[in-house]
Amino acid sequence: MSANTTSGRAGRGRRRSSTALTVAMGLMLVYALLPLLWLLMSSTKDTGSLTTGFGLWFGRDFHFFDNIHAVLTYDHGIYLRWFANTLLYAVVGAGGAAFISTAAGYALAKYRFRGRTALAAIVLGAVAIPGTALAVPTYLLFSKVGIVDTPWAVLLPSLASPFGVYLMRVYALGAVPDSMLEAARIDGSGELRTFFTISLRLLAPGFVTVLLFSLVATWNNYFLPLIVLSDPQWFPLTVGLNQWNSLATGAAGSGATTTGFYPLVITGSVLAIVPLVVAFLFLQRFWQSGLAAGSVKE
Amino acid sequence: MTPAHSTPRRRLLALVPAAALALTLTACSSSGGGEATPADPAKALDTPTTLTFWTWAPNMDKTVALFEQKYPKIKVDIVNAGQSATEYTKLQTAVKAGSGGPDVAQVEYFALPELALSKRLVNLKDYGAAALESKFAASAWSQVAIADGVYAIPQDTGPMAMFYNKKILDELKIEPPKTWAEFEAAAIKIKASDPKRFITSIDPGDAGGVDSLIWQAGGRPFQQTDSTSVTVKLQDAGAKKTADLWTSLINRKLVDTAPGWTNEWWQSMGSGQYAMWIIGAWAPGNIASTIPDTAADWRAAPIPQWSASENVSSENGGSSVAVTSSSKNKAAAAAFAIWLNSDPQAVRSLSANGLFPATNELLKDPAFLDQPVQGLGGQKANQVFADSSAAVAKGWQYLPYQLYANSVFKDTVGPNISTDINTGLSAWQKRITDYGNQQGFKVTAP
Repeated sequence: MSANTTSGRAGRGRRRSSTALTVAMGLMLVYALLPLLWLLMSSTKDTGSLTTGFGLWFGRDFHFFDNIHAVLTYDHGIYLRWFANTLLYAVVGAGGAAFISTAAGYALAKYRFRGRTALAAIVLGAVAIPGTALAVPTYLLFSKVGIVDTPWAVLLPSLASPFGVYLMRVYALGAVPDSMLEAARIDGSGELRTFFTISLRLLAPGFVTVLLFSLVATWNNYFLPLIVLSDPQWFPLTVGLNQWNSLATGAAGSGATTTGFYPLVITGSVLAIVPLVVAFLFLQRFWQSGLAAGSVKE
Repeated sequence: MTPAHSTPRRRLLALVPAAALALTLTACSSSGGGEATPADPAKALDTPTTLTFWTWAPNMDKTVALFEQKYPKIKVDIVNAGQSATEYTKLQTAVKAGSGGPDVAQVEYFALPELALSKRLVNLKDYGAAALESKFAASAWSQVAIADGVYAIPQDTGPMAMFYNKKILDELKIEPPKTWAEFEAAAIKIKASDPKRFITSIDPGDAGGVDSLIWQAGGRPFQQTDSTSVTVKLQDAGAKKTADLWTSLINRKLVDTAPGWTNEWWQSMGSGQYAMWIIGAWAPGNIASTIPDTAADWRAAPIPQWSASENVSSENGGSSVAVTSSSKNKAAAAAFAIWLNSDPQAVRSLSANGLFPATNELLKDPAFLDQPVQGLGGQKANQVFADSSAAVAKGWQYLPYQLYANSVFKDTVGPNISTDINTGLSAWQKRITDYGNQQGFKVTAP
């Protein structure tokens, strides 16, 4: 490969293309998109053509709509129920997490009180603990309280987002000027009113960032619901699809399955990522501005 | 005997199983006194109750609906709480906590000793299950009769068979092998015809598959002598014989070592890269539904023997239905488990959903034996499977902590599967021994 040194006439245009880089990025792109292409192609096949023929192209017939029909009707439409559960967990869980994180981060950034530094340190420490490690203790706690196998068992833990609190604290430090809070106080506004009418608007980009973060996290949450739920009525999509997958890959030795589960799993997965893709396309600019939050103090 | 004479008799005979069930259900019912003992099934079935039934078997609702029709006071909630190990983990926790568990649960045979000994399951002898022994295939009953108790009712079994792709064997003029020596010769021919072909594949993550092969070769690696003493011999003659054969086949690239049930594995099955699959009798349903294009090329034959004069088989997979010790409706739950798996109408419904039967009544039923099997080109394969069921070797046992043992199979035998399976089995034995000793068992391992 030839090293592409550009001749010294810089400033011509801002674009200095490097063939090597472009090729490398192209390969990355292919690497990222191939599995998605396989998924999309596979969702148009029936069981027979899934196990014959080439994975990255259409099968003999176009079964996409039959598959969707099968997904939505199997087991009295349990898939739709899972979809609704996931929406509930994601919207309520992520919305709640984003709001709590915003309020907490703002308080840590803007108020002086005893134990503030300790609290901030604990939050920072909590960021380092993977959620998976907490799943089992959480289960034991909940089983004592008696809320195992209810939606609360999934919702409550997803409301706590230490990373969100940390992010909002950093963001609030820069986004809400102290002088503005002083002005509000002088004009006689109460703390809550100030928070809801002034600060919250200033914090909106950060809020959306945390919302997106939590949305992805709760949408993909798997281990916690797997542990705390045994009734399929409350499963989110992740756990439900995995249950179908284990039926596809071996109701082995436990009686034969006479249903073709492979197309259900694949088409169900395609439908499950649609809302996430849509959310990203719409909220992308918030996401990008949020990623750089706190990197430069203005 | 004139036909006219035999019909009423036949009708009478047909009533025997039903009568026997009625007897077991009413055996301990009170004589009209109205004081129901807790273990009164007839009374329990007439009391409005909701039972929770954990099972992952697809289409179980069809069979349960028959029960609800017959006993309208009982409502059965079917819950798929996860498959196999996932379900057992939940069952252990829930029953221990005393809430959130089911009344009735599907349990595979290998997990029964563990759940029974940890007091998670009810001894169904207290509910008249002992009287059912003659209704079930010996191989099935021996797996639910644990330590003088009966801890579940057999639901389906998996007597081993050899499924082969007739098209490939015909093309190469190979007769279905009757012994393991012939199997090896066939493997060499199949490889020679196309280097991409294998006679079959062995799953490096599936303890059950290897167990079944060792069982058929006469190995008895797991034995429990009393409630705390266990013997582990994964290098006994049967285990060694099995490991030597398959190691040699794998080393010569005659047998593949791909994980089973994946999309690629089914592709190899469907495209003729694998000529055989040696597995339990429940497989035809999977073949028919997963590789519909080539399913008609497949046939079943008896599993190859170690010597031509023998006829020995073993079991692979299969499940039973147990009642949990945390159930509040034990009598109704036991009556449900018994009806679901022994009523002639119920067992036919289970069989229609692809479960291979465990009851003698169905295994000997001419209509069942002559039924063309979907997915094997209409072959009357049930005859092959029923013979295999009758030939299952006795004396096989599972560990009282088989779930752990199976979970470390892929880290011990798995990595050694293509070098030397004996090394893998020894490593597996060591892990099983260490864990058992930690758990307070007295483990003897030569």
